[in-house]
Amino acid sequence: MSKWVRNSLLGLEDLSEFEIMKIIETAESFALQEPKQSSEKSLLSGYRIINLFMEPSTRTRVAFEIAAKSLGADVISISGEASSLTKGESLKDTALNVKALGADAIVIRHSSPGSPLLLSRIVDLPIINAGDGAHEHPSQGLLDIFTLRQKLGEIKGKRITILGDILFSRVARSNLFGLTTLGAKVTLAGPSTLVPKEFSQMGARVTHNLEEALVDADAVMLLRIQHERQSAKHFPSLSEYSKMFGLNNRVLNYMKKEAVVLHPGPLNRGVEIESELADSNRALILNQVKNGIAVRMAILYLCTRSNNLS
Amino acid sequence: MKESLINVNLIGARLLDPLQSIDKVSNLYIRSGKMYLDPPDEKTDSDVKDILLKDHIIIPGAFDMRVHSRIPDPESCETFESLSRAASRGGFTGILTMPDTSPCCDNAGTITYIQDRIKQHSSIPIWVSGALTKGREGHVMAPLGSLKEAGIVAATDCPRPSVNSQIFLNTVQYAKMFDLPVIEFPQDFQLSHEGNAHESPLSLKMGIGGYPRVAEEIAVQRAIAVAKLLEVNIHLSSISSAGSVAALRHAKEDGIKITADVTATHLLLNENAIQYYDTNAKLSPPLREEEDRIQLIQGVLDGSIDAITSAHLPHPSHLKQIEFDKSPPGAIGLETSISASIEGLTTLCKDPYPALVNAFCYAPRRALKLNQHSIQNNELANLTVINGSCKWKYNVDIDNSNASNSPLNNHTFNTNVVYTVANGRVVYCSI
Repeated sequence: MSKWVRNSLLGLEDLSEFEIMKIIETAESFALQEPKQSSEKSLLSGYRIINLFMEPSTRTRVAFEIAAKSLGADVISISGEASSLTKGESLKDTALNVKALGADAIVIRHSSPGSPLLLSRIVDLPIINAGDGAHEHPSQGLLDIFTLRQKLGEIKGKRITILGDILFSRVARSNLFGLTTLGAKVTLAGPSTLVPKEFSQMGARVTHNLEEALVDADAVMLLRIQHERQSAKHFPSLSEYSKMFGLNNRVLNYMKKEAVVLHPGPLNRGVEIESELADSNRALILNQVKNGIAVRMAILYLCTRSNNLS
Repeated sequence: MKESLINVNLIGARLLDPLQSIDKVSNLYIRSGKMYLDPPDEKTDSDVKDILLKDHIIIPGAFDMRVHSRIPDPESCETFESLSRAASRGGFTGILTMPDTSPCCDNAGTITYIQDRIKQHSSIPIWVSGALTKGREGHVMAPLGSLKEAGIVAATDCPRPSVNSQIFLNTVQYAKMFDLPVIEFPQDFQLSHEGNAHESPLSLKMGIGGYPRVAEEIAVQRAIAVAKLLEVNIHLSSISSAGSVAALRHAKEDGIKITADVTATHLLLNENAIQYYDTNAKLSPPLREEEDRIQLIQGVLDGSIDAITSAHLPHPSHLKQIEFDKSPPGAIGLETSISASIEGLTTLCKDPYPALVNAFCYAPRRALKLNQHSIQNNELANLTVINGSCKWKYNVDIDNSNASNSPLNNHTFNTNVVYTVANGRVVYCSI
């Protein structure tokens, strides 16, 4: 019989279907509880969780904080600007110091791909990846899967289109790994400069034709266009992007009526998505944010308590 | 203290020196550091040691034409003592240092300083290259005439490319006046400067920026065009892509004077070495796909690629125990490159040694216009002796280099350098 044995969550690539479903089902049980009256309050009582956020983040950091506090843990958040890393301290030394301060687990966001793996080699603590460069964002991938299951039921066989800046997106990678493991048919779409054909070797269909990408999709997952970094090199302008690849009322005509829309935030209204559409019933954006708490509770609980679970 | 000239009988090894038409199992007799193919006429009670070398191969002393000493450099962890010890252990009787020092080798004073340090601390001959451009920045020509007078044997900005095509062309033309070999590191900076790994499905999955093949191939084609135009030889350092090998092959068939080398690590490993973000396997150029590795080996075997190097680049450990994208590229390799090359070449051929002699002995010396070493009567011995059949596990902790950034730690090799003779003196011996 399978059982949960991991004490870190570095990405979704290596997770089995059982492990993904274990997190989702644990999150579902947390989501059913009334947070303020929950019996979970004592599950991580006495635990000290350090949020080491070396890159700016609002919703992921806050969601991890709320999740940890909902389980009764103490949470300390350290941001990049406020840490000794700005004084030239290495990640290794920061991590060793954090451990010496009594951390029971570290949640890390970092601009360098692979940095959670590096951290896991330095300190023998549970490490939760909250986003590492363009590599993975497993908690976002899991909350997206959680949200999709709420609306679509079983993931297996569903057609999910991820649209936008795939090249630089950790959200796209985690969703691709997680969704394909659960049996979804994933399409990656966007400008050819942001969706290299090599992604097809990871089990996805790649297309640069918006109609083809959307026509049979059960869900469309939009990604934020990081125009502060990519616009000059990868597409001519935001207005051109919006015209060619934005989700607007025109393209709704060739989407399934029941197809839902997700976005990990922050939104660029009028670029990836027309404002009214973002506020419509199709959009699950706020569901995603809310579900993020239960999913992160499940991740923290499973990783920190893995030794005690059967 | 210098070792004395040796007197020894090397018994039963394969002597291999194709330029002298030598490939036979035989004895080699060394007296007062000089080689003799026939037994010297001497009294039988002479005190000469016999070394039995069954399954060993004796080749002319190997030469490594890409070594980053990083001396001087405040961040350097190497000394010429440790460097020459590692080189001797690796079988090298000569090496060429790259100009990426601090201050950089773009002035005669720095060259003279380095040569003084070499004279004081090195156990083997070390040649020095100078920068092609001031500060190795690619914008202003370095004083190549003065640097040649100071003793450099090649000009290069390695491991940086020439970023300005006009300066590159003019510098090659200018160096030609002094018969000074130019070594170009072929890389289109705009296409690769954010790249930490070969651009492939693997790097895409890992979320790390790509250094695509095309970034190298464009620069290779530029160098071929310049070599053709100026009718002068350009040597390309550290070829890594299958497309570059094909371009070199065609250029050579067309009679264009172009030569190239590849690193031993690229003959042995492919990009899978970085799949767990191992900073020790982060190289420049990056390790590429298996099809590239196979074509690099093929290139060495058919002569499209002339030389093999270690690309020895020591980094202190704190610069490798960091995030992958922040870690500088490069690995040490002096002690492993001959064994790694043999293992790599064996992928495609049963007898890698003739190609090895060409790539590690003849081609580098030819490219740098240095005298060839050869196995000849009455010549001062410069020899590399390889045990062709032994298992050993490489351990960075006992490497003679002061650095330990190698992707080959704990790799088990099937061949090993066991004896190195430079200028008639033993500089390394494990038998």
